[in-house]
This record gives sequence, C-alpha cells and structure tokens, in this order.
Amino acid sequence: MKVSRRRFLQGATAGAVLGPTLFNHALVRKSLANTIGNRYLVVVLLDGGNDGLNTITPIDDGAATLRQAYDAHRNTGNGGVNLPSGNLLPVGADPNSGASLGLHPSLQGLHDLHTSKGTVAFIQGCGYPDASLSHDVSRSIWETANPLGVPLVGGWVGRHLAGCYGPTDVPAVVVDYGLPGDFRQTTTSVLAIKKLEDFGFPYDYYDGGDVAAKRAAFDAIYSAASGSAQSQFDFIGNSGAATLVSSEAYPPLHDLYETDRAAWSAQYSAIGRSFAEDLREVAKMIYGVEQGVPDVNARYFECNNGGYDTHSGQGADEPGGRHGELHAEVGDSLKVFYEDLEDMGVIDDVAILVWSEFSRRIQQNSNGTDHGSQGPMLLLGGDVKGGVFGNHPNINDVALNNNGNTVYSQSATDPFRSTDFRDIYGSVLKQWAGMPHNDILTMMPLDTAAPASNYWTVEDFDLDLFLP
Amino acid sequence: MGDENTALSVNEVRHVMRRTGFGAPPKDLGKLLKAVNDAPTRGNLADELLGYKPKLYKPGGKDPYTAHNKWISYLQKPKSPLQSKLVLFWHDHFATQASAVGDTKLLARQIRMLHEHAKGNFRTLVKEVNLDAAMMEMLDTVRNKKAIPNENYSRELQELFSLGVDDLAGNPNYTQADVSQIARAFTGWDYDYPKGTPDLDTDDHDYEADFPLRGPKVIFQTTGGFGPAGRDFTAGGEGEAEVDTVTDILFDHTDTDGENTVARRITRRLLRFFCHEDYASPGAAEIATIDQIISDANFTNTWDLQALYRTIFVHDVFFETSGTAPYGAGTKKAIKWPVDYFISTLRLTGMKLKSRDRRIFGGAYDGAFDHLTQMGQVLLEPPSVFGWDWDTAWISSSTLLARYRFARDIVAARDAGAFRPDKLIDTDLTDPGEIVDAVSDSLGVPDQVTVAERQVYIDYLTDNGANPTIDLDDDDVLNTKLHGLYALVMQSPAYQLH
Repeated sequence: MKVSRRRFLQGATAGAVLGPTLFNHALVRKSLANTIGNRYLVVVLLDGGNDGLNTITPIDDGAATLRQAYDAHRNTGNGGVNLPSGNLLPVGADPNSGASLGLHPSLQGLHDLHTSKGTVAFIQGCGYPDASLSHDVSRSIWETANPLGVPLVGGWVGRHLAGCYGPTDVPAVVVDYGLPGDFRQTTTSVLAIKKLEDFGFPYDYYDGGDVAAKRAAFDAIYSAASGSAQSQFDFIGNSGAATLVSSEAYPPLHDLYETDRAAWSAQYSAIGRSFAEDLREVAKMIYGVEQGVPDVNARYFECNNGGYDTHSGQGADEPGGRHGELHAEVGDSLKVFYEDLEDMGVIDDVAILVWSEFSRRIQQNSNGTDHGSQGPMLLLGGDVKGGVFGNHPNINDVALNNNGNTVYSQSATDPFRSTDFRDIYGSVLKQWAGMPHNDILTMMPLDTAAPASNYWTVEDFDLDLFLP
Repeated sequence: MGDENTALSVNEVRHVMRRTGFGAPPKDLGKLLKAVNDAPTRGNLADELLGYKPKLYKPGGKDPYTAHNKWISYLQKPKSPLQSKLVLFWHDHFATQASAVGDTKLLARQIRMLHEHAKGNFRTLVKEVNLDAAMMEMLDTVRNKKAIPNENYSRELQELFSLGVDDLAGNPNYTQADVSQIARAFTGWDYDYPKGTPDLDTDDHDYEADFPLRGPKVIFQTTGGFGPAGRDFTAGGEGEAEVDTVTDILFDHTDTDGENTVARRITRRLLRFFCHEDYASPGAAEIATIDQIISDANFTNTWDLQALYRTIFVHDVFFETSGTAPYGAGTKKAIKWPVDYFISTLRLTGMKLKSRDRRIFGGAYDGAFDHLTQMGQVLLEPPSVFGWDWDTAWISSSTLLARYRFARDIVAARDAGAFRPDKLIDTDLTDPGEIVDAVSDSLGVPDQVTVAERQVYIDYLTDNGANPTIDLDDDDVLNTKLHGLYALVMQSPAYQLH
C-alpha cells in the first residue's frame, strides 16, 4: 500500500510511522540493497571560490617546475599571497610530476587528521571544460552536475534522493535557513535546520488545550496543498507537512547531545566559529539517529562556509590573513567533528565531501586573486583511503589559457590530465551510497555529443577512494 | 485580452495591491478605490500608483542593525508602497552588503540614490551605480589599480547589472577578454570620504599607452552585434568619460537575434518580480511578451522605467497572476518575499514595532532583524552580489518555521492589547463561516482561500462541530480560537503566495 503524506502525518501523531522508522531498524537496514544503508554523507561547500592553489601547494618542482611557476606568479610581501615552501604542511607527492605537495599552514587541523589517521583524500584538479568564471553559473554547474546538457531539475544529491527515497521520507538535512542547489529536489523532503533547538513548532502560549486542534487544522491545510497541481502550492505543502513532523522529532536532539556529549560540544564552542557550530548540529543529528530516536532518519547533510571570494585582502599565511582564517576555521572544525564521530563509534560510516565552485587564478592581483578554473576537492572519513589523487593543474605560463587560467583536460595523453568532478560524485554515489551505475548515469547523464578527448569522459565511477 | 481601459474587479485591485505593495488592508483598498472614483481600470489604477513624487528616503543609523531596523519601520508606513517595493527590487538587483562596505553611511546613500532613480532612466541608474561609493567598496573598484587590475566590478556589471551571462538563445553575451578590458576602464576610481563623491586618481588609471601589451581598449569583438571590430571605448576620451562610454556600449549590445540585450534582461527580471517564475527561463511565448512590452514602452529609446512599469501593470500577463482559489496547474502564482510577508502582515494586523530592536508591540519576542534573518532576508545584507534567490528558494523547513513563529508572535502579543482582532473584525459575529470570511477579508485574501481550507478553519473554530456557534465576547474563546484562526491563516500555504 502506498502511504500518502496525509496518512504518514496521521501515523506520526499516533507515534507509529511506517516508512522512515522501518528504515532505521538495524535488521531492515542490512537488507536494503542499493542504498546508503547505515552510512552518512556530509557535503561541505566552501562558498565563493576557494583558492585551491593556496590550499594544496607545490613545495618543490618535481618534474614540472611547479614551484618555480608558483613563485613567478604569486608575490611575497605587501599584499602578496605567496606561501613559502618551508611553511607548507606536507601531504604527499603529485601523481604526475612527483612534486612534494603541502597544505596551507592554517590547515593544521586537517593535516593532523592526515598524519594521525591517514583517511583524508586530497583530490586535485577537479572541474569541467571551459570553466565558467561566474560564481552563479559555476556553482550551478557543480550543484546540478550538468555542465553542457539541457538543464536538469534539482541538484545531484537531490536527484539521488528522489531516486532512492519515497515522498514521505525525510532523508536529508541542510544546516542553514534555505536549501542549497545540490540538495534541491522535487519528490522527497530535505529539511533546513539552522539550529535544532529553535526548530520546534511555534504554538501560541495561551491555551495549551487547543494545541491538538491547531495541529489538526495545520496538518489538514498543508496536506491539502501537498499534491496540488499548482507547483508552488504543492512545494509549500510538502515542505510544511514534513516540517510539522520533523519539528516534533528533531529539537530534542539538541538536549540529548548536550547532555550525553557535553565535553565534545565544548570543543566546537572553543573554535568559536559558525562553521564549527554548524558541524556540531550535524553531529547532534547523527548521534540522534545512532540512538534510534523515532522519526529521525537523516543520512545526508550539508554545511557551508562562506567568504572565499578573495579578490582583495586574501593574505598569505600571516596572522589575520583572510584565507588563512578561513582555512583554520575549516581545518580545526573538521578535526573536532571527525574525532567526535570517531568517539561515537560511527566514523567508519561517515564520508565528508568538500568542494568549491571554482579555484582562483595563479596570477594574483594587487592583494588578492581573481576567479580561476579547476581546484581541489577533499574527501575524509573512517573508511576513506587517504592520500593525493588527481594531478596538480599545470600552472606554467605556456600552459595557461589566454585568460591566465589553468586548462581542464581529459586527454589520456596529457600528463596533467584533470579530474572530472562528476567522477567524484559518481564514485561516492556508487561506492558509498550504493547507487547502481546505470541509475547514476540516468540522473547525471553524459554529454555524448562532445569530443571524448576533451569533454566528459566520465569513467566507471570506480575511483579508488574508499578502503575495501 | 485586455488593455488599459479594462475594468477591474475588487479582487483584481487586491491583487494589484499585493503585487505592487504590501498586502491589501481593507482601509487602503477603500482609499485606492475612492481615488479612482470606484471605477478601477488597469490604466487608472497604474496611473494612481505611479503618480507619486518619490520621497528620497535613506536608512540612516550608525550600524547596519540600526539602519536595517529604521528601514523596516519606514516600510511599515511608506508614502508610496510601490516606491518602496521598487527600491527593494533594485536593492536586490544591485545587491550591496553592509558587511562588505563597512560603512553604513555610504550604503544608506546608495539606497537614497535608488529611491531617486527607481522610476527614472535605467541607463542613468547604471551610471550612478558604477561610481557609487558603497558599490566601489562592495566590488573592489577602489582596489582596481592599473598595475594589476581587479576584475570584480567589471564582471558583475556585465553579468548581473546589465547583460547577463547568456542571451535568451543561450549564447554568451561577453567573454573574459571583455571582462579584462572593461576592468581597465574602472582602474583608479575612488571616492572622497565621507561624502562619497567619485574621484579618479589618474596615476592609478590604466591609459591605453601605459600597457600596449594589454591590447587596444576594444570590447565585444565576438558578441553583441558590433561586428568583428567590436567597440573602442576610448573613442569619447579616457578617464572621466570612459566609464560612461562603456555603459552606453553595454546598452547598445544586442542578443544574437538582434534584440536589445539590456532591455530584455531588465524587463524579464521585472516580469519575474511582478508576475511569475516562468520568466526565469522564458520560452518562446514569454520572449514574445518581453519583446512586446519593450516595444510598447519604447524602452530601448528612452530607458524610462516608469513607462516600462506602466506597460507591465496594464498587460495581460500581470493579470494572469490574479487567479483566485482553488489553484490549478495553470494558475500563475509567486511566493512572497520574506520582507513582503513581514511588512504586509504587520500592516494587515495593525501591529506596531517598538524599541531599538523593533519588537512587536505587546510581545517580548524577537525583533525585526531576528525574524528576517530566520526568514532568509536581511535588508542591507543580501547573501552575495547575486542578491537573494527567489520563489521556491525562499521556502525551506527553516524559513517556514520562521514565518510560522512570526505569525505566532503577532497573535500572542496580548500585553497592552497590542493585537486587537476585535478591531479587525466584528466580534458580534457568531456564525463560524462568517467569522472565517471576515478574518480572510481583514487579511486581504478573501479571494485566495479555497472552499476546502474554509471548511478546515470552520472545523477548527467549532472543534469539528462540537461548538456550532462561536461567542467571541467570551475572552477565552476570542483568545484561543480567534487568535488561533489568525495565526493559521497567516501560516497557511495560500498566504505564502500572492
């Protein structure tokens, strides 16, 4: 029997919910093939165009004069963004040139994870051909995973969710006020929760005896709107109906976590940044799922950190440099989050994927950097195979295009061959979220008309990013 | 098909008020009808709405929080709701963040400038924005020096303020070379503080002869319909005149089918704002409408925004969105902006804000800034230079709860009788259906409540028929059921749309 949202809501009132709670049951979970099962995916956006060349930076030349080229374009001193070789935190060798690579010195927290756990994948050169230098266009390309073809509805995570979950499921939560493009979807509900403790349904205080009547009326008008042929009406109906149920299930996760894991909570507070606090909200929800709290079934999360559009005031690695501050925020927060989840015993079931809409130009302007092309992604988690993947982009003058940007290439003979960002998405969906290969191709279609030497030779989604 | 002489129903007037202002409070509706001698037509209503002299308001205040709250208070009782709504549209279009500007005075002056030009000449408006001090801070013009130009403003001028990335056929409107060249035109510009007067430092300006390797200052050699020679923007002189010349060239840019790019883009955005989301990705029918409106308004010859607005306000597409409940597949609706939801609800319920935090009078709850933060729209702090994402992007579980919370805070404001439903409807009514109708009328949405919703509200009032007559003179009934009904309507899916 198909469970309508109306029935679902009525069921929720009585405390007997079929769909999501069933999914939460350990025995049932194992039998659900082709799903993320008892795993989690956390997506992190560095919004504004993170300077990848000052995230994973060549320490020496290797076989490709990478460090020379870096020093030639990036200044030291007043307004300069050059990171001195000696200060970089080594992570391994560039697969192509053999150059030693290092992290921005402010990414100390991330480096600690790399050295102590070995479960951080640094994936270089991720992008797509003819990179758009517009934030909006490029972000949308990454979010929809659709650079060349006709526009697709929803984001890549959203379409994946729509393919794997029913309309009464609430499989994902975004820690924000609104939904980012990668999580937009049409048939299943994604919650936006900025603060769990504020997520309760706001009933009037006056007469508590009337709450049941208010709830029933609210449920009825939203259930009626849900399923309307008018698209916005339907959208609001679905969102409000899912909100009502979740507004009863999610807020208690705050107290649960603060009671059981106060010492961990304090570690996020000590970082004192909103990004750390956002990750803590994710930790609270994962803890809730692990504790079996009814109607809490989220497996996909998103957080973002803004401020990466460093046209000016970017800084190098001196105290107070804007990019360094952002890196410190992200590195330190991820470290606490990782260790918190490890302490919960769940880190082997968590993968964290970090992306940005583009990188920045190798040639700096007077005290910052303008928009660039492909950049690095990060993947970390207990079952992630650590190390350097993908090639550092070729930043030598001769290889730059006439805008001064690095060139994306899928030519098999190009030693600097780039990484198709959709190959990362596909590998995560296939190997981590259990989505069958053909289903991935359906929701993330290839552009078969483009020449394979340059465009979209998306492979088999078998990038070796996870431990066996 | 209608034209400016087409008579309007009262519900259509309500629709016009909701779209061009902040809700349709019965008192304002009465005044507006009286102003057109109780014989509203598309044309006389548009003229009545557009026929004001702009008040050049600026949100003063030492810090962004204070400035935000002052602006909110102004929006509650604007001289012309349309003028205020237009300024919100332009604030979104030329999105500038207080946090990036770092000085509230400069940004307040920008808002005043938007008031001045909101129904003026669009080309003049873009020229004002080019050298607006707050914008120069926002998009790094003050850091754009000849040695190494900063491309931030040049790109957004083309992408956001005038052309857009692609034309309506999906062909690019400009190239990276155009971005680099136009960035040169803006090198060396700065402003005098605190007046904000633009000032060119010629030592920092990139004259063509300074950097011959950067090539001639020529743009649009591959796009815009200018031919392979493109346009040399130093023809009118370098420096002071150059920025205006660049702007004039942008306004001559055509799509690949020969139609004017800027006119199409701005008309399309206005249609999206005043009508509906179909104009976000227009098909052939929408493109034909856009072109027709531009032609009817003679927009490419005059760039007169007032004429453009009037053409939209008498057009069928504007009234196509006035559909009454129930909504079907073909009903065109739009989701209210948070600030629209916030302001119109305050106006409709007669609520006042007080204290520095602009709290709801009679309640001890969140102030205006907190409410709007949670709803996803803080004035003077758009999320980025792209402004806010519209329509369904306004709606998430988090922002919906913020709207519900705000509605709750209004009806819960009982101290000192701040929320007075007895002043909004006749409390002698006892018939639940009549009470529901009176409430939806007072909230300006009698045309937007479906029969099914009306029945839900009746069931709520009567506890599913257990109490078939409602005694609103009983304080408990009034405080529970009537307050509750007001909250429900303001929280309903239909009330989020207009």
